[in-house]
Amino acid sequence: MITEELGTFSDTVEEEAPVEACTKCTACNTVCPVARSTEIFRGPKFLGPESERYRSQPEAAVTAGLDLCSGCKLCEVTCPSQVTIQEYIRRAQNKGAEEKGRTLRDWVLGHTRLLSRFGSMTAPLANLGNRNALVRWAMERVLGIHHKRPLPRYQWLTFERWFKRRPRPAKARRTVAYFYGCWVNYNERRLGEHVVAILERNGIEVIVPKQQCCGIPAVVNANMDLARKYGGENVRRLNGLPANVDIIASSTSCGLMLKHDYAHLLDIPGAEQVGVRVYDICEYLWMLHEAGELDLDFQPVTTRVLYHAPCHLKSHGIGYPAMRLLRLIPGVQLEEVDEGCCGISGTFGVKVEKYDLSMKIGSRLFEAVKAAGRDSVLADCETCRMQVEHGTGARSAHPIDILARAYGHR
Amino acid sequence: MPDTTTGVVVIGGGSTGAGALRDLSLRGIDAVLLEKGDLASGTTGRSHGLLHSGGRYCVNDPAAAIECVEEGRILRRIAKTTIEDTGGYFVSVSEEDLAWEPRFVEGCAKAGITCERISVEEARRREPALSQHVRTVFWIPEDGHLDPFYLVMGNVESARRRGAQVRTYTEVTGFLKTDNRVTGVLTRDAITGEETSIGCQAVINATGAWAGFVARLLDVEVKVVPVKGVMVVLSHRVAHATINRCHKPGDGDIIVPALSVAILGTTSARVPHPEVLPIEWDEVRQMIEEGALMADGVSTARAMRAYAGVRPLYDLGAEAEGREMSRNFAVIDHEERDGIAGFASIVGGKVTTYRLMAERVTDLVAQRLGVRTPSTTADVPLNDHEEEMDQLRHRPAQLGVPKPHGDELGLQPLICECELVRPQDVAPWFKDPAVRTLEDIRRRTRSGMGPCQSAICSYRLAGRLVTERGLDGATATRAMADFLETRWRGVRHVFWGSQLRQAQVTAGLHLELFNLDRQLMFQSQAPSDALLPPPLPGEGRGGGEEAHAPQVASKR
Repeated sequence: MITEELGTFSDTVEEEAPVEACTKCTACNTVCPVARSTEIFRGPKFLGPESERYRSQPEAAVTAGLDLCSGCKLCEVTCPSQVTIQEYIRRAQNKGAEEKGRTLRDWVLGHTRLLSRFGSMTAPLANLGNRNALVRWAMERVLGIHHKRPLPRYQWLTFERWFKRRPRPAKARRTVAYFYGCWVNYNERRLGEHVVAILERNGIEVIVPKQQCCGIPAVVNANMDLARKYGGENVRRLNGLPANVDIIASSTSCGLMLKHDYAHLLDIPGAEQVGVRVYDICEYLWMLHEAGELDLDFQPVTTRVLYHAPCHLKSHGIGYPAMRLLRLIPGVQLEEVDEGCCGISGTFGVKVEKYDLSMKIGSRLFEAVKAAGRDSVLADCETCRMQVEHGTGARSAHPIDILARAYGHR
Repeated sequence: MPDTTTGVVVIGGGSTGAGALRDLSLRGIDAVLLEKGDLASGTTGRSHGLLHSGGRYCVNDPAAAIECVEEGRILRRIAKTTIEDTGGYFVSVSEEDLAWEPRFVEGCAKAGITCERISVEEARRREPALSQHVRTVFWIPEDGHLDPFYLVMGNVESARRRGAQVRTYTEVTGFLKTDNRVTGVLTRDAITGEETSIGCQAVINATGAWAGFVARLLDVEVKVVPVKGVMVVLSHRVAHATINRCHKPGDGDIIVPALSVAILGTTSARVPHPEVLPIEWDEVRQMIEEGALMADGVSTARAMRAYAGVRPLYDLGAEAEGREMSRNFAVIDHEERDGIAGFASIVGGKVTTYRLMAERVTDLVAQRLGVRTPSTTADVPLNDHEEEMDQLRHRPAQLGVPKPHGDELGLQPLICECELVRPQDVAPWFKDPAVRTLEDIRRRTRSGMGPCQSAICSYRLAGRLVTERGLDGATATRAMADFLETRWRGVRHVFWGSQLRQAQVTAGLHLELFNLDRQLMFQSQAPSDALLPPPLPGEGRGGGEEAHAPQVASKR
């Protein structure tokens, strides 16, 4: 063969490193919600692959504006060349924080689980405090948390304790492990209750392994070591589950961490094996439906709702299973509000210097929601729901909420 | 009567010519530099940018090695901002390399080159990119990177501040002679075709590989052997220090981290003409394969382009060929050799020794002119004029020379995001009459030298041709197309992987979105008439008496 004489092209050239793939097409910049809303952000193309060329020097770091990246990951979703833009930005952020030190605020926001535990233990008091103008003024001064940003309500009875107290149902066809995340545990136990009820209604046993914060607050607050520590604990425990147990998450961001970021961004050993078993709750229910196992005996739910697709859901690459599910329910009038990022991006919009930007990013969504005038806005992500409620005054819920109503739960 | 007169005409705008111009101006001699293309557009700008410690020549060419040692130290003093003090490794990857080592060590000792043997483990700790094939390592602290563009511009600006003039795109077509004395040169402007004459007392032929062509205009022979070298540019630095194979200098045995990129070099092949420099796939492949033997990341990096330069080796009549020939240089006194007074050629040599070459030829000319002032180029730094250099200094070099750059860069818009070129970095050059094409802007600012190879900055620069140079849109569009075209010439040699996809994006952007080819088709202007006219008198800098570097003068 002639290739044996001449050698093939691939004898010389290997596959290039992913960062090399950027062709400067600028698609990422056009979808970046931050770049679209402020002049002072250079955008993912520059802060990701372009700056990465210079970061190969250990001492050099292009850091300006890195903290303005909200971590929505839309750039990665859009990139036609599969450049892992977010990973470059996160690593550079983290490196900058390691060199310069972290602010108290970023430390606190990185430890949301700790914060939530405290909030939950002192629930009535904490909730009162979070709504007190003087306390909020002090929080803004000391912690840099914007006084206008509503903080989540904590509940005294955690999901974890609720789950332990409840009676165990009979043996079922399938078993899933529920990664409920800090939000369900400390702030919205009812969502967790609904998830459990819906799964059990479909003959699925739910188990709740001991779990740690998924680590995304630590990642976005430039504390990768902490995220790796949390992630490592979760991976160890989840890998201890029997092989036939799937893992369910009801928070899009927690789910994304388990599915993807543990293995890629954080490089946690054993994370690949966890990632392939993780499903978003709606993704899982839709798969049940496709397998003909979903109980379709729904009561009609007469409601007109909007659906907002969270940015991190788009990163899952599973489409919008919640919309498909809800369309199975009689009476539900569902429409997508396709106006992009809500702007809060977890702890991003909480920060004093980013609050205004966060509201500006979300303004298009807010306008559309207000104009539509529906009963409520559905979103799979808890911080999206907070932001939509704050920005529009509309009611907001997880899509599971409607499904639970269709199954007769209130 | 010639149209204008000066003391000395220097022909050739490479490092030697620019060095000679500066040397003359420091001695107080009036001088004009003529270059048929742009400054640093020939051999200098196409070098791989290795600042030689001398290690590469210490066995085969000890005289050149010793010159490199001395000149390297001088350049570190006078041209600090053009140098990245990376240090370098000489690595052995084969039995033959190991056999070469004793001679290398001995050669280094004889030439006075600092050379330290370090363990492979220690070397990998310092330089993780060293490949698994590496068996032994020498650390040569005086190897480094010399930015050839910046070096030439620095010399020229330094000379201009002292009254010297520079004319680019000005070809010498003949000489004025009285008896056997050269009394001036005839020139033609490559753009306007305008012919002028410049009267002078002496001419320095610093045209390197082209020296024979210039000398022939006076019917004298200068035998320069043009030897091609092919280099491949990778999209990032790959290594922190230069890496050389520790063996008899051969093909593809150097990796130079140069500012934001890495350059793999080089081949050695005699060519019939210094402007006939074809690049073959086999040569590109050889650079990558040989480079990959020394450093990891070479074969996985994005090859951005390939280019070829031409070594101006001086034929001393020896049997030697290509690399065997000495990298030494020679000053030819044509008065003594050919009986033509007022004409001297400087041939051979290399960028690292440019200053010494310039000094030697200027010594000869100054002596003939009766000027006794000695050369001071070894002592007076290039950036003796702070503000001027500040303007030159702000370049991604300062990222490569590690320094947190981001905050300094702030949030201003950029012309070239790949190479971090700001509007204020390009603005002064639009006023410089020596700048006639966007390629010239590139050589001075690095705009367009990153992975996208001018896909994006080309149209931003074209816009600035209109706003800052006052050109009409059609001319600016033509200049942009020419710029893309010259970039394309280098990119096409590495059409695989990302760079191939990049070319598709660039073509899609310019040909489809901007409809560039159609726009050009309906222009009345002939395609060859693509160079830009110089800025109108009074609005430019450089060139004239009072006009040189006015933005500096205004700061004072």
